[in-house]
Amino acid sequence: MLLVSRAILRMLRRPVALLAGLGMSLFFLAVYSAGIGGVDFLPQFGGGGYLAFLLPMSLVSLAMGSAAGAGQSLHDDMASGYFRRLYLSPVRRWTFVAAPISADAAATALGSLGILVAGLLFGVPLRFGLLSVAGLLVLSILWGVTLSALSAGVMVRTGSPDGARIVTSAVFPLIFLSTTFMPRELITARWLRAASWANPVTYLLEGMRFLLAGTAPVEFFLLGLGLTAAAAAAALVFALTGTRRILV
Amino acid sequence: MTDMEIVRARGITKRYPRSAHALDGVDLGIMQGDRFVLLGPNGAGKSTLIRILTSLSRADGGECRVCGLDPERDQRNLMEQIGVVTQENDLDPHATPKELLQFQGRLFGMSRSASAIRAQDLIALLDLGDHAGKRVKELSGGNKRKLHCALALVHRPRLLFLDEPTVGMDPEVRSRFWESIRRINREEQTTLVLTTQYLDEAERHADQLALLQNGRITFRGTPTEFARPFRGTRSDADNETTGRASLEAQYLAYLKEETHAAG
Repeated sequence: MLLVSRAILRMLRRPVALLAGLGMSLFFLAVYSAGIGGVDFLPQFGGGGYLAFLLPMSLVSLAMGSAAGAGQSLHDDMASGYFRRLYLSPVRRWTFVAAPISADAAATALGSLGILVAGLLFGVPLRFGLLSVAGLLVLSILWGVTLSALSAGVMVRTGSPDGARIVTSAVFPLIFLSTTFMPRELITARWLRAASWANPVTYLLEGMRFLLAGTAPVEFFLLGLGLTAAAAAAALVFALTGTRRILV
Repeated sequence: MTDMEIVRARGITKRYPRSAHALDGVDLGIMQGDRFVLLGPNGAGKSTLIRILTSLSRADGGECRVCGLDPERDQRNLMEQIGVVTQENDLDPHATPKELLQFQGRLFGMSRSASAIRAQDLIALLDLGDHAGKRVKELSGGNKRKLHCALALVHRPRLLFLDEPTVGMDPEVRSRFWESIRRINREEQTTLVLTTQYLDEAERHADQLALLQNGRITFRGTPTEFARPFRGTRSDADNETTGRASLEAQYLAYLKEETHAAG
């Protein structure tokens, strides 16, 4: 807990990245909703309208922004040498990596809550009330942990500050190869439809839509939850086993 | 390992890729309460030996016990017994000295209040009072070094490793620093193992010293024994009159002899 508190404190001391991520996600939500929102009337968007359909994109992109924190934090400690000071304490080594990932998860949860509040203010429905909020937070945190742990894992294995960038660059196309902006039925290119079926991000987005306006079936929510939980677990194993390879 | 021996190393070897032996069968015993200085030129293997004894690096061969523990297998237990001041300042530049010291205490299981008191004591001991609330990145090189030492002392280690601790300190700060370190050795019975290239420091502050050259210990004894004439190069009378110069001359003579033997 001590290391997690330190990681959170460090993050709060440099809030620019945190606020920039949240601001960017809200900006995209506002811009896309204003630009494409005219399709509101289509039955595929259910009663929630286009804003409710688009909101999961904001949650997913926010987690991508927050995920850079763990890799960056580890890199800062390694570059300053403070990591060696931590290493020379009787603390278990895996906690050095788990702490910044936990701080990222906290940031993702807080930011997601901010986006949900903004959505609610503009009339986005919550199909299951507070249960929907809890479900959306769980999905966002699992997605955030996946990306954060991957960036931390790349960082501890390579020592390069580019870890987060590599992960973001690798994951970024998945957002566009999915049902981010349009439901599957409205995607005209066959190859993009096929890609969206194979893309796990699709099930994450659809799972969130199940909890919002209910435009996706429960199976998609369960699949999204299962896939994201498995990805988070695998990413954590990748990051935490990397602590053995850290050079001090 | 005798009851009083706090460090024991036998036949320690270490080789880095594409280089000669960094350590080539080092044998070493350090007694509890000693102020032990490891002397040697750049690249002699001093830091490598310290890294192995403090678990930061693994030896290729040989065995060692530090505070009765194997640095490779008992790393976490060992950390509670030793303090380490590496050559680099391992500090978080965005934190203040006070925060870092308190956090360090908490890492070692101290309560919030106990770590705050200990931080205050060390700030006073190492004369950091005027800088306790500044960010580390705003501190001078000498004060960063002192803070680095203070961090290694928070948990009252039995054994303190200092790898070239006074590099970057001006003479006045160095002098005050050594005063503090000697007081810690005296009052807290902390054994000191340090490396330095400053012969005057070795002479003034060591009860025992060892000379490490090309990965091997080539001398082991007291500073007085070290300063005795080397292979008849100078007379006893010279030694008595020249003081520190004699230690320097002996050091250079040892280095020359070793280079000659290696050649």
